[in-house]
Amino acid sequence: MHYDLIVIGMGLSGLMAAKTAAEMGKKVLIIGKGLGTLSIFSNTIDLLGTIPPTMKMKDGLSQWVHDHPEHPYGKVGLEKIEEALSSFNSFFPPPYTFQSKNDANSLVPTGAGTFRLTYLIPSTMMKGINLKEKKTLIIGFEGYKDFYARRLADLLNCRGITLSLSENPQTEMTAAALARRMEKPSLRDFIGAEVKKEIRDEELIGFPAVLGVNDPMGVRKDIEKKIGASIFEIPGLPPSIPGMRIFNRFKAKLIQKGGNFLSGYSVSKAIPRKNHFEKIEVFHPPVTNSYSADHFILATGRFIGGGLLADRERIVEPLFNLPVSYIGSQEEWFGKSFFAQHSIHGYGILTDASLRPIDENGKPIFENVWVAGTILSGHHCVNEKSREGIEITTGYWAARNAMKL
Amino acid sequence: MNLKTEVLIIGGGATGVGIARDLSLRGIPSLLIEKGDFLSGASGRNHGLFHSGARYVVSDPEAARECITENRILRKIVPHCIEETDGLFVSLPEDDLDFRDRFIQACQEITIPAHLLSRDETLSLEPELHPDLLSSVKVPDGAIDPFELVLGNAKDAEDHGAKFLLHTEITSLLLEGNRIKSVLAKDLVGGDEYSIETSYLINATGAWADHFLKRIGLRIGVALSKGSMLITNQRFTQRVINRCRPPSDGDIIVPNHTVSILGTTSVRSEEVEQFEITPEEITLLIKETSRMIPAIEGCRFIRAYAGIRPLFQSGEKGDDRAISRGFALIDHGKRDGIKNLITITGGKLVTYRLMAEKTSDLLCQKMGVDVSCTTHIKPLPGAEKSSGLKNRLAAIGQEETLCDCELVQKAEVEAVLKEGKLKNLQDILHRTRLAKGTCQGAFCVYRLLGVLHDLGMVKVDSNKVLKGFLEERWKGIRPVLWGSALKEEELIEGIYKGIFNL
Repeated sequence: MHYDLIVIGMGLSGLMAAKTAAEMGKKVLIIGKGLGTLSIFSNTIDLLGTIPPTMKMKDGLSQWVHDHPEHPYGKVGLEKIEEALSSFNSFFPPPYTFQSKNDANSLVPTGAGTFRLTYLIPSTMMKGINLKEKKTLIIGFEGYKDFYARRLADLLNCRGITLSLSENPQTEMTAAALARRMEKPSLRDFIGAEVKKEIRDEELIGFPAVLGVNDPMGVRKDIEKKIGASIFEIPGLPPSIPGMRIFNRFKAKLIQKGGNFLSGYSVSKAIPRKNHFEKIEVFHPPVTNSYSADHFILATGRFIGGGLLADRERIVEPLFNLPVSYIGSQEEWFGKSFFAQHSIHGYGILTDASLRPIDENGKPIFENVWVAGTILSGHHCVNEKSREGIEITTGYWAARNAMKL
Repeated sequence: MNLKTEVLIIGGGATGVGIARDLSLRGIPSLLIEKGDFLSGASGRNHGLFHSGARYVVSDPEAARECITENRILRKIVPHCIEETDGLFVSLPEDDLDFRDRFIQACQEITIPAHLLSRDETLSLEPELHPDLLSSVKVPDGAIDPFELVLGNAKDAEDHGAKFLLHTEITSLLLEGNRIKSVLAKDLVGGDEYSIETSYLINATGAWADHFLKRIGLRIGVALSKGSMLITNQRFTQRVINRCRPPSDGDIIVPNHTVSILGTTSVRSEEVEQFEITPEEITLLIKETSRMIPAIEGCRFIRAYAGIRPLFQSGEKGDDRAISRGFALIDHGKRDGIKNLITITGGKLVTYRLMAEKTSDLLCQKMGVDVSCTTHIKPLPGAEKSSGLKNRLAAIGQEETLCDCELVQKAEVEAVLKEGKLKNLQDILHRTRLAKGTCQGAFCVYRLLGVLHDLGMVKVDSNKVLKGFLEERWKGIRPVLWGSALKEEELIEGIYKGIFNL
C-alpha cells in the first residue's frame, strides 16, 4: 500500500500529525504499538508549567520561545503553537472540551495531594481549580488502591471518605474497570445516594479521574444531579482514563476522515534509498507486510516506548538510526537527586526548524523524514511540564511541513 | 529518663541481636540500643549468602571450619530463614584446575561435602551457566534472609526479657574508675533522652566499633571494606554460583527469592556511612559474573547496593582475641583496663550465632555466672513454618495487593503495622517485602502511605516521606539506569515529577 504520509507512533504527537495531514486531504497511515504515553501521563494539556498563573500564557511562552531557540517551541514558534492548540481543540467540541482559565496556567489538584500548574483542562477537571476557595469532599473507593481520599483530603485541607462499592471490600478494582462501571446508571444511583448521605456543607465533590471513558460529561452530570453538588475529577496514577478519552476521540475522528490505523504492531524495519525513505516493514506473524509512502513522520517517543534506546555508553534511535544528541556516558546522564533535571532527558533527535532530522553539520539527513514529539532534543518535558504541548505542536508542525512539499 | 540494666548491648545487627537472644535464654537481662533500625549496617546490606565455608577452605581454613559448623547448626535452628539451594564452584577454561583439586581436598579435610560434577552434569542442573565451563564442585551453600533471621532473633529475645531501644543513639559514655558506669542516649525520632546505668557494656557496632571506642580514647583498628552488589530482575540459577578460584571480585551469584544478587567488590573505605557505588564497580561486577552466566550481560538490573564490612586486622597486640581469624572478641578489661567492656566485631553473617555465644561466654565469665549457651539447640520460633511464597501465591486475587511485584497483601502489611513500635517508613519496609521488587517501591510506597493515613498512623507530611523515599530509592537505581530499567524510570519520573509535581 502506498500513502502520502506514514506516521510511526500512536501517542499524542503521532495522532496530531496524522490528524493534520488527514485534514489536508492526504492519505495517511498511522502505525503504533499502543496508546503511547497518552494512557499513562496525559490528563490535562500541559503547555509550560514554568509560567506563573498570574501571567498570560502567551506572554510567558513568547519569552520562552525567544530565549530557547533549540527547544521544540523555539523551532515551532508562537504562532504555530497557537494554531496547533486550536487544531487540537477542534477535536473536542462541547461538552468535553479543553480550556484554560483566563488564558493562563491554573493549579489542578492531583492524586498525591499536590497541585500542578497546567494549561488546558478538560471539562471534568475544571472545577478542581476552585478547591482552595470552596468546601470540598473527596471520594475514594474501597479496593481502588491507587487513590487514597483521606490522605489526599488531609493534604489539600478538605474532607475525604472512602465508599465501598462491593460486598467484599477486599476486591480490587482497576481504574479501567471503575470507569466502565461508572457508565452504568445503577452504580451512579448507588454512588449518588451514598455521597448524599455523607455530604455536609461541601459545595464541591472530587472523584478520581474514572468518570467513564466514553461519556464523562454525561456521567458527571448524572451524578451531580443525584448529589446536588458540583463534581470534578482528580488526575492520579496511571493508567489515565482521560488519556484514553483523548486517544479514542482521535481514533474515531481520524478513521472518519479516511485515515488508516494500524495498532498493536511495531515497525520492524525502515528501508532507505540514499537520503530518501521508501517503505517500512511490519511483521504481522507469520507474514511481513510493507507500506510505502512519500513522507514519514517519526513520533516514537522516548525510552518507554522504545523510540530511544540506551546502554551504558550510547543512546540510539533504532528505527531510522538517526543521530541522537548526547554527551558522555551513563554515569554523567543523571543527577545526584531524583528530583534534579537529569541531562539525559534533554537528549534526543536534533532537527532543523522544520523538524527534519539533521547531521552534525546541521544538514537534513533524509529529504522525506520529519520528527515529532518527546523524542526531540532540547526539552525537559517532565520538569518543564510541557509534555502535551510539545506533542501537539510538533505533531502539527511536522505534518504541515511534510505536506507542503 | 533514667534506666538501669545489667548488660547494655550497642548495635542492632545480627551480632548484637544474637547476643541479646543468647543472654536472654541464659536468663541474663539486657538492653540493646541501636541508632537506626535492626540490620541498618552490614547485616542488612550483604550478599545473603549462606556460606558452607567452601569459599574460605583454601585461604582461611579456620574461618571455613566455623562456617560449616554454623551452617549445620543454623539449618536446624532457623530453617525458615534459609533456602537450601546448594552451591556450585564453577571452573572456566581460564581457571586453574590445580586450584580446584586443592579446593576439593581442603573441603574434605574440614568435612565440607564437596562433589565434583562434569560439564554436562553441571549444565543440566544450571542451563544458564557458560557452556564452555570445565566442571563444577557442589557444596552445601545456600541463601539466607538476614531480615527474617535478625527480626526472629529479636522477637525471641524480647519474649525472654530482652529490651530494645531502636532509633536511639549514644551521646556520651561516663567512666567511673576502670568501669563504664552509664551512658547517655537520645531517641532520634521522639527526642527523649536517656541516662542508662549498666554493669556491663558490649560494643557490637560492627563497622562502627572504633567510632564507638573513640569516645573513651580507645581504638582496635577495624578496617572498612566496601562491598557492592547488583540485583538482577530475574533469578538465573537455582543454586549459589561461585567461581572456583581464589576469592576475588565479582565471583559469586546468589539466588534470592525471585532475583539473583551479583557480588561483590572489595574497596577500602574511610567512611562508614557515606559511600557510593562507582561505575567501575558496576562494570567489574557485570564483566566477571557474565563470564559464569552470559545472559547477565544483557539483563535488567533493579538496584545496586553496598555494605561496609568490618575487617579486623590480626597481628594487633593482646591475646584475648577470638580463636578465629573470622571475628574479633576483645576483653577491654585485659586489653585496656576497662573492666566491664567487651567489643565483638568482624565475622560473617553465618557465624553470628557463634560470635554471640563466645561474647556471652566471656561476659558470663566476667560476671562470674555459670550458665551455658543453648542457642545451638533451641530453634527460633517460626522454624516450623513454611516459606512465605506459597501463602503469597495462594492469596492472589482474594485480597488487596499493595505490592504487585512481590505480591504483598494489604492485610499482611496491616498486621505488621499493628505490632506497633515502628517509627519510620524504612522500619516497615524492613519487615515486609514491599519495595523489594522490580519497581523498587515506586507504586507500593505511595499506596502504603495511603494505608498508613487511613489507619491514622501518619503524623507528618506524608509527601515529605514519599519524597524522602524516592531520593533514597534513587541512590540504588541511578547506577543501573540503562536498557529497560530506564524505561521504568522514565515512567516513575513522569508520575512523581510530572503528574504529581512533587
